[in-house]
Amino acid sequence: MTISVGALGTIVVIATSIATLAPILLITLFVHDWKRGCLW
Amino acid sequence: MIIAEDVAILPAGIAWGLLIAFSILWVALGWYLGRNNKTAEDHMLAGRNVGLALATATAMATWVTANTTMTAPQLALQLGVWGMFGYSLGALGLILFAPLARRIRELMPHGFTSGDFIRLRFGKFTWRVFLVVSLIYAFGWLVSLAMAGGVLINALAGIDYRVGMTVILTVCVLYTLLGGLRAVIGTDFVQTIIIILGVAFIAWLTIDKVGFEAIHFNLMEERPELLNLLFPAAIMFLFNNLLFGVGEIFHSNVWWSRAFAFGRSVGFRAYLLAGLLWLPIPIVAGFVALATPALGINVPVADMVGPLVAAEVLGLTGAIVVFIVVFAALASSLDSLLAATSDLVTRDIYRGHFRPRASEDEQFRATKVMVVLLGLLTWAAASYRGELPIIGSLAAVLYFTGAFVASAIWPVVAGLYWRRANPTGAALSMIAGTTLGLVSYFVIGFYVAALVGAAVSLAVLVLFTWIAPRDFDWRSLAEAEPRGTAGTTGGVR
Repeated sequence: MTISVGALGTIVVIATSIATLAPILLITLFVHDWKRGCLW
Repeated sequence: MIIAEDVAILPAGIAWGLLIAFSILWVALGWYLGRNNKTAEDHMLAGRNVGLALATATAMATWVTANTTMTAPQLALQLGVWGMFGYSLGALGLILFAPLARRIRELMPHGFTSGDFIRLRFGKFTWRVFLVVSLIYAFGWLVSLAMAGGVLINALAGIDYRVGMTVILTVCVLYTLLGGLRAVIGTDFVQTIIIILGVAFIAWLTIDKVGFEAIHFNLMEERPELLNLLFPAAIMFLFNNLLFGVGEIFHSNVWWSRAFAFGRSVGFRAYLLAGLLWLPIPIVAGFVALATPALGINVPVADMVGPLVAAEVLGLTGAIVVFIVVFAALASSLDSLLAATSDLVTRDIYRGHFRPRASEDEQFRATKVMVVLLGLLTWAAASYRGELPIIGSLAAVLYFTGAFVASAIWPVVAGLYWRRANPTGAALSMIAGTTLGLVSYFVIGFYVAALVGAAVSLAVLVLFTWIAPRDFDWRSLAEAEPRGTAGTTGGVR
């Protein structure tokens, strides 16, 4: 049983999209912590 | 395999420029962040009040290693889609550690190392067995990371393996020495952003330039087994990798020291979020290896497939991006491991066995000496890459330690949650699990070592506890904290 091109493409695109958004989330959290004075 | 300078995909001049620029950045950042460290607690645990953003990033960065960025493509090339899916299950280690991190912080508000917990919970015999397991794993991981550094620089720029490995190791030792855990966590944040953006950039361009149709068609023609969802060795690998990841995180002081360092309410959320964000990374990094048949790339050594694909798809830009990404990934893990292992050696070997009355200042100095000694030992072992029988590739070194770490999963879990767990059973479960895990590594293959280690360890621990259950008062973990430690607990969150 082999994975179809559609399934492979969907999984990879979802994974890459999450990976692309992750830095934005981390930077947002950083700014949030920094403004509240609780980075450390 | 050594790559000659004239066939390297990145000019040596550019590679040296990048190496020098990023080395200066990491060392300067490490010095700046650690300039106010005054005590061993500052140096080892960054003040015990790390916030969510830095906590999440450091957990992610440490777990995204060169083994992720280089071994995920290697496993995709060897085991197909299950290779990269299986590797991504390593995220479960972070996710499952989230509740443990909260409990560790609650039970041991003054704790320093995973060794502290095992000693107080199970006694000295189990503690010593645990230290052997933990230190073998830590050293195996350190050597595999240093090897990855040398391999990458050689593969991309033709710079001699030992020279590249020495530069990366020296930089990490230097800034860990200067700034301790604060430097490690601060640089991890920047490194996480670089790594994820770089990996995603390469994946998007591979999708754009090659396309899923071409990748799938060429794999079906040349390597159909890589698309097979019932590839037996790959399915074994999937479960093995899950247990390996869980074992690595549950026992290692890298993750325990962070549980002690994060603010009180931060640990659970940080590990959970880091796991969820880490989950897609091996798929993104590994997927590019499936494009090798479509691109007609000849892969001389499996662990170089990632850099080769990036260079083929993106040319010089790809080589530069991969170089920066893997340098950041290597540094983010090497620094964490150097810091956490030096803490473990200082607290549990130096102080625990030789200098029980060591003062705060003495421990502070000893931690720094240990960072340098660990760096030297790692350098010596990594210098002999390919000349020792078990050291042949990154995956081989990494999965050799699978038997050790998986056998420590159940003693740690039982120690935290099972009041009646038998201490002798905990020690013997690690010894039996490691022994039979290693036997299976050599007799069957690397993909079952962790699986066997975890299964045997569980059976031994349950059997001993069933025969001779022991009571334990959780409060003694906080009460019996070693004297002479700093009195601060930090963590208002």
